[in-house]
Amino acid sequence: MPDEVEIQSAPPNADISQLADHLFRHESAKLVSVLTRIFGIERLDFAEDVVQETLAKALRTWPYYGVPANPAAWLTQAAKNLALDLIRREKLFRDKEAQIITSIENWSSDSEMTAQFDNELKDGRLRLMFACCHPDIPVESQTALALKTLCGFSPAEIAKAFLTTEAAVAKRLTRAKQRIKELKIPFEIPAGEDLAPRLDAVLQTLYLLFNEGYKASSGESLIRQDLCDEAIRLVALIAGHPATSTPRAHALGALMLLNAARLPARVDDDGNILRLQEQDRSKWRQDLIARGIMHLGRSAGGEDLSEYHLQAGIAACHCTAPDYDSTDWRRILALYDQLLEIDPSPVVALNRAVALANVEGTRAAREFLGTLQGRAALDSYHLYFAVLGEFELQLQNFESAGKHFSRAMELTELESERAFLNRRLQLCRPSPSQAAA
Amino acid sequence: MDAPRYKSGHIIFFRGNDWDKNLSPEELQRVTGQFMAWFERLSREGKAIGGAPLENEGKIVSGSRGRSVSDGPFAESKEAIGGYFMLDVESMEEAVEIARECPILEYGAKVEVRPVAPQCVQMRKAQQFATAVA
Repeated sequence: MPDEVEIQSAPPNADISQLADHLFRHESAKLVSVLTRIFGIERLDFAEDVVQETLAKALRTWPYYGVPANPAAWLTQAAKNLALDLIRREKLFRDKEAQIITSIENWSSDSEMTAQFDNELKDGRLRLMFACCHPDIPVESQTALALKTLCGFSPAEIAKAFLTTEAAVAKRLTRAKQRIKELKIPFEIPAGEDLAPRLDAVLQTLYLLFNEGYKASSGESLIRQDLCDEAIRLVALIAGHPATSTPRAHALGALMLLNAARLPARVDDDGNILRLQEQDRSKWRQDLIARGIMHLGRSAGGEDLSEYHLQAGIAACHCTAPDYDSTDWRRILALYDQLLEIDPSPVVALNRAVALANVEGTRAAREFLGTLQGRAALDSYHLYFAVLGEFELQLQNFESAGKHFSRAMELTELESERAFLNRRLQLCRPSPSQAAA
Repeated sequence: MDAPRYKSGHIIFFRGNDWDKNLSPEELQRVTGQFMAWFERLSREGKAIGGAPLENEGKIVSGSRGRSVSDGPFAESKEAIGGYFMLDVESMEEAVEIARECPILEYGAKVEVRPVAPQCVQMRKAQQFATAVA
């Protein structure tokens, strides 16, 4: 052993479990918003680079020296040091340099986070949210940018979530950042008359994020769960901030929580999709249901009755029914009727048909679907054919049911859905003994 | 009676400082955890007896009596050494087996395995020569 080299001794205790789940993702999102506040929204790229480098520094050193006692404070301090080094070396800010250096130096990275800093942090996160979800940015770019900057997703992860390519995501991100610069989109929480439309745009983007995670027809399941979790985190931030805590924000929070609560029961241990009536309701997350109901209560604090309110109300009916048979389908049907008035889309009508079947019977529901306006829009929607198949199966029109299930299978890529539909399809065929007879 | 066992020293160098460029925070955290757990296990087993990360930037000293001292802001490179472990293992084969477990390989980093020469090569040759002529 060469003795002239001083060797760092091995860390006493370095365990994988010392890192909290999603620590890097959540800290990176926080750091990006704090740095953007200091550098200006037009320097979003620079803030992201500093944060990336900060996390890489943790990766390079923690394995040797162990996890610091307060990892979040370590990351903050490392980000400050890196930012100061880069600014001094690269002279990025010219006349604003002194002011920016002072801001960074004043940025508290104490392990005891002060209430003031906590407020500033939330404030920065909200400003960034309003900038990313500005109505002048194309919607698909908004969702990509929100995931990148607010949730710490990489382009590859965003591509997985949206079943698209990394190159397409990169293009969306570039476009979004260009728009921010071109339009000089401000880094602020809108006030007065501006607030409602701007907040609507933010909520709409979060709703899209959540739906992307919630719907079973795309992306990898782990990523989808993360999308739901992140959308819930962000909407909770909005609903909890005095400037943005509107009934509509609470309604969206309720909608997400009450739907997410049922996700764990949606598949069995083998990954098979379970229908509502087959789900083990003890697996429903009561903590999320309680939070959802709390937000639902707060959503009633005004005149506003948005589609989020109605969808949250429907989800609440399911969540509060002790078993399938005691589901209040009449109330659900009434909520769908109201929802159709606000959003007369064929997809909403399809959901109404399911409620109608439970209230007035399958025949009435099938008839309603048959007379549906704009039915053509559902021609490539697998769930439309799945519902039709289900209705025909209940009416014992096995041949017709089989055709619908087959069509639904052709229209979905997802293996678990195909397997589910295939099991339904088997019910439409005569059993082998009958076939032999 | 057991024959005395002489373990040999090996150093494994982790090469490449650009492989983590496009990883997401989630992936960076996963790799950090894996790397940490790996080093911890090797240390516990007595196979790793030390190691250190290296900063990307330093100085390059060259010329007669070190006339030239230049900054070494080593650009992103697949060759730059990012850190090393000192291993105390039986053989090159065992060191290579350990190197193959390195969690950053799948992201494009390389691991270089180098045995620590037991003694200066020139000195060894001189001794061999001395033994031969004796």
